[in-house]
Amino acid sequence: MSKVIIIGAGPAGLSAAITIAENGLNVLVIDEYMKPGGRLLGQLYEETNGNWWNGIKESQNLFDKAVAAGVEIKLKTPVSNIEKMDDIWNVYTEDEVYTTSHLLLATGAAEAPLPIPGWTLPGVMSVGAAQVMTNVHRVKPGERGVIVGVNVLSSAIAMELKLAGIDIAAITLPKMNIVTEKSGNPLDVMNSLLHVSHMAPSAFVKMGSKLMKNDFMKRMGITFFPKNGVKMWDIPIMLRKAVVEIYGESQVEGVTIATISPAGEVIPGTEEKIAADFVCIAGGLYPLAELAAVAGCPFYHIEELGGYVPLHNERMESPLEGLYVAGNITGIEGAKVAISQGVTAGLAIVNSIDGGKQEAKLNDSIKAIEETRNDAYIQFHPEVKTGKQKLLNFWNEHQKAVVS
Amino acid sequence: MVICRCEEVTYEELVKTAERYSCSPRELKLRTRAGMGYCGGRTCRNAVDSIALSSTERNVSEITLKYQPPIRPISFSKLGEVVNND
Repeated sequence: MSKVIIIGAGPAGLSAAITIAENGLNVLVIDEYMKPGGRLLGQLYEETNGNWWNGIKESQNLFDKAVAAGVEIKLKTPVSNIEKMDDIWNVYTEDEVYTTSHLLLATGAAEAPLPIPGWTLPGVMSVGAAQVMTNVHRVKPGERGVIVGVNVLSSAIAMELKLAGIDIAAITLPKMNIVTEKSGNPLDVMNSLLHVSHMAPSAFVKMGSKLMKNDFMKRMGITFFPKNGVKMWDIPIMLRKAVVEIYGESQVEGVTIATISPAGEVIPGTEEKIAADFVCIAGGLYPLAELAAVAGCPFYHIEELGGYVPLHNERMESPLEGLYVAGNITGIEGAKVAISQGVTAGLAIVNSIDGGKQEAKLNDSIKAIEETRNDAYIQFHPEVKTGKQKLLNFWNEHQKAVVS
Repeated sequence: MVICRCEEVTYEELVKTAERYSCSPRELKLRTRAGMGYCGGRTCRNAVDSIALSSTERNVSEITLKYQPPIRPISFSKLGEVVNND
């Protein structure tokens, strides 16, 4: 019997691989990166209970467990295409074509860039790149950086950079244009930050966010938001300033920032320069669904899940026979949710191969995803559950259309 | 400000084209070549999408800019399975 193939050695892919291998089936995991763990590798933060979540350690644990269970893992192997021929999935890599009856896509997420004048200068990088350089490769992206884009990911990474002894001059907004409309609007950004206020280290900010439940208070809050920002881990978070330009002769030398109105308009004459040798752009994450797209899977755009998501059901099955999805490809959430989804996808695959012996376990694992989601420390989108429900409705409509 | 680095298409050009033709993301791509370079739109896809969608409605049930294999760089000889017997 052919091996099950999983694309992506992140938390979802590895946990699925473990689940499948522990049920006695052969599994091959393919990943383009040189280390297993995916985006989990970069993560480092303190949980509410005081424990530290160390992505490198968690990745190593999953990897060791997978290897012990007999999973074969091929790193540094990008997949350039997948296609189905005669009921078999063909997985194309540079040197080999692999075939399988059951293929799981656990390709994770990618970062959306925010175009800002000067963003093509050397020294400008995505915030995730700075995180990987620092936490995975132990290389400082620079001595002093500015982070453009205020969101959960960028504030968490700012703290990680700080822990590595890198000076962060400010976290601030991009100047508003059509592309940065949401990330550049102070009120929108504040709204999206309020639901993660429990992560703020200062009791004052936590208290403040409770007072900000209604629109009037929010508008007052952003109108009187201190122009020089509030400090978190000693880093000024500036919601009333925006980067209008990244400057430098042959590489980043700094950014020009200006005060903006509560609606995001630049107030002329308020420009000032901040010296920096690197700039991180934080436009947020979106599901990386290229392979599901070339396979011909139907897609739906769901804002709450971070963008276009391949259609799938609660068992992580796509409408294409033998094609499964798990992790951030199904919507932007934390690593723990991805791990739970990996278990479900793994069980769904085992269930399909052994003729339905896993039904009970499978149903339990679906409930477990829900519980993990409820307990999640970081919610990337406050309405992620609404998003999941929307997708399920699309799935039901699609099934009806197929039957009739 | 450059949006598509491979084809050197600017923000201004994209906004002007989108305003003039009120076009879909795909049409905006074809008119300007933004996203048609060797990276396959990996950097500018979202930007091209948002600029076009500022004047047209998004179709939620279809990806606006199609993905084409190979989705990762691959050498021509490997792609065509050319074997050199010289």
